[in-house]
Amino acid sequence: MKMKKTDIGVVVFMYLVCGFFYYHMTKLKASSQTYPRFTIILLFGLTTLYLVQMIVAARKYGVESGVDEVFKDFQPKQFFVCLCATILYLVGIHLFGFYIPTVIFMAVVLFYLKVPPLYAGIAVVVIVALIYFAFQKFLGVKLPVGTVIKALQK
Amino acid sequence: MLDTLSLMGAGFLNALTPINLLMMAGGVAMGIIIGCMPGLSAAMGVALMLPMTFTMKPETGLIVLGAIYCGAIFGGSISAILIHTPGTPASAATAIEGYQMTLRGQAGKALFTACYSSFWGGLLSCISLYFFSPLLAKLTLKFMSAEYFWLSIFGLTIIAGVSSKSVIKGLMSGALGLLISTIGLDPISGVKRFMPSSYFAEGINTTCALIGLFSMSQVFILAEKKIKARAQATKFTDKMSLSREERRIIRPTIFRSWIIGNLIGILPGAGASIACFLGYNTSRQFSKHKEQFGKGSIEGVAGSEAANNAVTGGSLIPTLTLGIPGESVTAVLMGGLVIQGLTPGPELFGKYAPMTYTFFAGFVLVQFFMLGIGLLGCRGFAQISRLSDAILIPCVTVLCFVGSYAIHKNIMDIVVMLTFGVLGYLMRKFDLNTAAVVLALILGPIGEKGLRNALRTSRGDVKVLFSSVVCWVLIALCVVGILSPIFMNRLEKKAAQEAAETTGEDLEKLTEEDSV
Repeated sequence: MKMKKTDIGVVVFMYLVCGFFYYHMTKLKASSQTYPRFTIILLFGLTTLYLVQMIVAARKYGVESGVDEVFKDFQPKQFFVCLCATILYLVGIHLFGFYIPTVIFMAVVLFYLKVPPLYAGIAVVVIVALIYFAFQKFLGVKLPVGTVIKALQK
Repeated sequence: MLDTLSLMGAGFLNALTPINLLMMAGGVAMGIIIGCMPGLSAAMGVALMLPMTFTMKPETGLIVLGAIYCGAIFGGSISAILIHTPGTPASAATAIEGYQMTLRGQAGKALFTACYSSFWGGLLSCISLYFFSPLLAKLTLKFMSAEYFWLSIFGLTIIAGVSSKSVIKGLMSGALGLLISTIGLDPISGVKRFMPSSYFAEGINTTCALIGLFSMSQVFILAEKKIKARAQATKFTDKMSLSREERRIIRPTIFRSWIIGNLIGILPGAGASIACFLGYNTSRQFSKHKEQFGKGSIEGVAGSEAANNAVTGGSLIPTLTLGIPGESVTAVLMGGLVIQGLTPGPELFGKYAPMTYTFFAGFVLVQFFMLGIGLLGCRGFAQISRLSDAILIPCVTVLCFVGSYAIHKNIMDIVVMLTFGVLGYLMRKFDLNTAAVVLALILGPIGEKGLRNALRTSRGDVKVLFSSVVCWVLIALCVVGILSPIFMNRLEKKAAQEAAETTGEDLEKLTEEDSV
């Protein structure tokens, strides 16, 4: 099997994680370092082993990009719109509570993904009803009210 | 013996309360819906529903999760039979014969066979759950700190190899999870470790991590792909039943598949996707009607479905007794157990025996609900299986958000869930193993306690980790655990290849659904 260039990213990420945790571990008391040290060594060792495997594969079978496989059928615009909408949804919940951002988030994403309005409407109603009855009424979960709404109520 | 029988009886009485029955029905229906939608998996469904069980009694919560698990494994067969797309990888083999039957106008018969065989596979698997679990749990009474340390490592070596293309990558994922599990207060000295804020004092919230790694990451996977319209589910008019003769024909197949599925389930590291192919191949080998295979054989459907459902009971045995889940779904189930404050092992069969036996009884009853709901709701579930990814993306996102918030009513939980969602997405893109991270988060603290207590009692002498026969047995099992995925992958490939040769199906296409 050929070595994939994309795996270099995996190795770099793992080494960075090891480095980050090692740096912070050195600040701990000696007795508290035992287990983190064990796990860092374990991750470092396995990553190095994988690196060696990659080098051997590169020498034996050659190197391939791997990008095509990782990003097969990738729709960048759609993905980032959904990701941004999700992050904005989180911010929205923090500011305006649960229900208003949920309805807006769902409506925006469903509209963007070209779901027919009737189905989109049904989906929004079903999810909001499910959360209201299952989480709020049945399980007694107090959903976030939102800092802006709280301030307005005061 | 009498004690066990009375516990079993009491378990059934407890399980038969109206709330438990209602939860079983709801869980099975939810599981079938999740299972029949090709974009969603059983592990994802169980993770998503986990927060809903927090306010329930532990046994009721576990029954719900078990019901979703069983329902999802069966649900995968509906879309496999009607739209030739397995809802879960566990139904890949069912699609071969099931869809052929649909093309011949026998979709009703195929669905009945799947439901009937799933029922018997699941029900028979409860026998081993009842009889082997207490015996295996007694074994863990001999475990001391060092043994618990090795047990956690063994658990990781097992899960790391499952659903990873590379064993080393799987182990790397496990080690990354172990490292993440060290975030929070030191369990022995109380020193702050790797904590950006006091929110992380109790460590990473396992449920948020579970939802992020299994459910939110799946949303990102769906969001990156072009939204395609699903194939129209075939409308069937034939009767959903089997003749007495047909039932007689599939009886030995179900029995064989039960044994196969159960053994595969008990073996940590093997799962329903392997069992379905082995069940299918065995049914073909023993069939007196080999010529029907590839053209729509009820034995083929029965062999695959009985085997994948027989895995469910079997896979709970190592999970509940040793704390070693053999696959992603049981890893999530174990998360549910730990979150309820329960530790797998002898305690479950001693102090918490009434709860455990109620769960077992619930698991038996769930099979009956699966049969009833499966048969009555097949037509409706078939329509749900066509639900577009465009609708699933925002719906699942909202459920992930509300589920993670419900745990501590803290927005930070949603942030953690989202972070793990992105991490899980990237891990899946680069063939790392999200299940190993989850298991490491659960097993990490157990392993740490074991290691540090062992070293403390031996005054830092590492020889204590190799001082008993049980330690050496566990070390040997760790080696087996690392090597077993190589064997299991070969076994699965061989079984799939054999099935492909017989039927001419493109099995790569059928099994390409994400197996997380």
